[in-house]
Amino acid sequence: MAGDHHHQQARYPLDAGSYRLLCKIGSGVSAVVYKAACVPLGSAVVAIKAIDLERSRANLDEVWREAKAMALLSHRNVLRAHCSFTVGSHLWVVMPFMAAGSLHSILSHGFPDGLPEQCIAVVLRDTLRALCYLHEQGRIHRDIKAGNILVDSDGSVKLADFGVSASIYETAPAAASTASSAFSGPMIHAPPSALSSSCFNDMAGTPYWMAPEVIHSHVGYGIKADIWSFGITALELAHGRPPLSHLPPSKSMLMRITSRVRLEVDAASSSEGSSSAARKKKKFSKAFKDMVSSCLCQEPAKRPSAEKLLRHPFFKGCRSRDYDYLVRNVLDAVPSVEERCRDSTQLCGCARGARCVSPCRHASSGNVVAAKNRRISGWNFNEESFELDPTDKPPEQEQQQQQPCFPFHDDDDMVEHEQERRRRQDDKDGSSDVAVPHLVTILGSLEMQRDMVMQVLEGDGGSGDGGETVGREEMLVGYVRELEKRVQELSTEVEEEMARNAHLQELLHERACENHTDSSHTSGSR
Amino acid sequence: MKGLFKSKPRTPADVVRQTRELLIFLDLHSGSRGGDAKREEKMAELSKNIRELKSILYGNGESEPVTEACVQLTQEFFRENTLRLLIICLPKLNLETRKDATQVVANLQRQQVSSKIVASEYLEANKDLLDTLISGYENMDIALHYGSMLRECIRHQSIARYVLESDHMKKFFDYIQLPNFDIASDASATFKELLTRHKATVAEFLSKNYDWFFSEFNTRLLSSTNYITKRQAIKLLGDMLLDRSNSAVMMRYVSSKDNLMILMNLLRDSSKNIQIEAFHVFKLFAANKNKPTEVVNILVTNRSKLLRFFAGFKIDKEDEQFEADKEQVIKEISAL
Repeated sequence: MAGDHHHQQARYPLDAGSYRLLCKIGSGVSAVVYKAACVPLGSAVVAIKAIDLERSRANLDEVWREAKAMALLSHRNVLRAHCSFTVGSHLWVVMPFMAAGSLHSILSHGFPDGLPEQCIAVVLRDTLRALCYLHEQGRIHRDIKAGNILVDSDGSVKLADFGVSASIYETAPAAASTASSAFSGPMIHAPPSALSSSCFNDMAGTPYWMAPEVIHSHVGYGIKADIWSFGITALELAHGRPPLSHLPPSKSMLMRITSRVRLEVDAASSSEGSSSAARKKKKFSKAFKDMVSSCLCQEPAKRPSAEKLLRHPFFKGCRSRDYDYLVRNVLDAVPSVEERCRDSTQLCGCARGARCVSPCRHASSGNVVAAKNRRISGWNFNEESFELDPTDKPPEQEQQQQQPCFPFHDDDDMVEHEQERRRRQDDKDGSSDVAVPHLVTILGSLEMQRDMVMQVLEGDGGSGDGGETVGREEMLVGYVRELEKRVQELSTEVEEEMARNAHLQELLHERACENHTDSSHTSGSR
Repeated sequence: MKGLFKSKPRTPADVVRQTRELLIFLDLHSGSRGGDAKREEKMAELSKNIRELKSILYGNGESEPVTEACVQLTQEFFRENTLRLLIICLPKLNLETRKDATQVVANLQRQQVSSKIVASEYLEANKDLLDTLISGYENMDIALHYGSMLRECIRHQSIARYVLESDHMKKFFDYIQLPNFDIASDASATFKELLTRHKATVAEFLSKNYDWFFSEFNTRLLSSTNYITKRQAIKLLGDMLLDRSNSAVMMRYVSSKDNLMILMNLLRDSSKNIQIEAFHVFKLFAANKNKPTEVVNILVTNRSKLLRFFAGFKIDKEDEQFEADKEQVIKEISAL
């Protein structure tokens, strides 16, 4: 029974000193994920998500709600935290280490055109089991996607990231700003789907307990939104990326083009890109197409429940040897999560492992600003000595005193500064900052989608049969306009981000000049 | 043995009675090793019953809750000591059943029978149950369940008053700083609820207990080295002092130079979030029209530093109210 398992599990220590960080395996805007060893438990391997509570946009209540949700879920296909505790201004969430990483990461590191169908079936079946459990608990995940499905070395799967999940039994409904969860981070590259962000909005802000009938209409809707995302995830696994992903936040648009997504997705994806030969060969079973179609039904009520979906013929064929197949043909074919992360451009380049990726607050804008304005090092509370001049310590010294101490920082603080500077320098070249490449990626994918839609449009042009096609064309043209608008917005955002980076660079430069105690070579003297 | 006759559907009261019987069994036979199989069976039955109580109260996928059924259930539940049994036996239940039980208890706090909240009356007569729930913070396995129940119980003003006036209030200063994040945050949420929910009761509590409470609050929470303790405490302090019903307490707080010193130190905390929350309290010191001399002296002594600090004090997103407050504070300090 699930509860008994709960009692038997080992107690993970609640202090940073008991864990040895081995390497970084993922990172996001406000969180970094490490592979780590829990020393007192025989160096058991765990994953630690270090969330910067200072930088994360979520308020502490949301972080707590999510941690609580994670602590109270118990299912073998649901990722559950061993424990969580704070380390300075970071929250460390200690979790099982999932050796093969997320499906999204597997796709992008070896299967850009998608996974074999029998592998899709086993991982989706486990995902569905997790969804069944969540839905039975009155919980809605709201962010189902390949990036949130984690795989272990034996091919078993755990659904992760409850950043946007909501419970109908919660007294205070989860805040509407679901997109700003602190936990969402490392493996997420796409903005939350248009669907997931809107289904509980009406509920948020309700001051007191909601009328049951309202709850139920919402649960029904919310659960079915998960099923929709599940269908999109199936396509993501089949093609290596979601169809028409990163949609503009117009949900209705998404709904209206649904039927198109389904019908055209094969054609569209095979008619673009250089590796189209591989794609053309790809044939999916009728069972698979039927399963996906049922999830992508425009009317939520007509989408099957997770439980019903589990009985779909597509999953009936799953055998335990499919896990072996998954391990041999997929997991063994991609680099390890450690290697994947090493490849990533986001690493600082320091070859010294854990030390260089330990949580670091130097980048927080607050500190930079404070450095510029010269820190107030202390107030004068001594009433007898009013006349004395206030004492300003040099800012650098002050900063050193204020550093929260992490067990992994035994080196000189300056090394950190040096790295930071180097990193900032990279930023100027636009190669390693967090936000800019992210935005550029979205931009790129939006452009790709626009092309895809254009192609569909052109292809349709001749063979139209009367008014229906015209209507569809108008709709698609509208959609293209929407996309163009979004691209423009994003371009502006990228520009702003770059300007901000340049500004930060300047501040750092200033600080470097100010800092006379720094005897090491200053690279910021440009 | 299932008889020849199809069993009558159980009424909500039947489900409560059965639950109670099973809880009594569990309570009596908790230590015994002998009838393990029998105990397992009873446990499974109990889990089923508690889930059924939940679906009567909340409805399920197919049907909405029925008022009449809820009333029946509530009446039977509080007619005898079912709540006490459920709370006492909670540690013996499995995780899923604990969650169901917690949701049942939460829902029952709001159920009315002939326009009276029965749960409130029951708890008033059984206040020791609150003691049990609060002590749950000392047991990692049940802390989150007891914590949720406790927060539901203190929706009743009389119950919140009991907790506020009890010695338990002092324990919260420890619970809030427990190393386990889930549990410490849960305790924080309860603490905040106690100190903000029932305005009149809170105002009375704070005036009566001003000295020890703020002395503990300042030394243990605001001066804590723990980031999250500090951040939550300064936010709560702002919420309390800025509440109109606590204006007398606020005046007293902002007339103390010791308090001012703590707040000024928080203004220069390395965390921007703490700085901003500290500002919302600091501005009250500056805006006070009747500043005591000792407060004025500190502000005057540090005038140039303060002005320099506020000149560079900005928040990421635009906030008109914040800017206006800052202007006002700068004006007040310059004019001293």
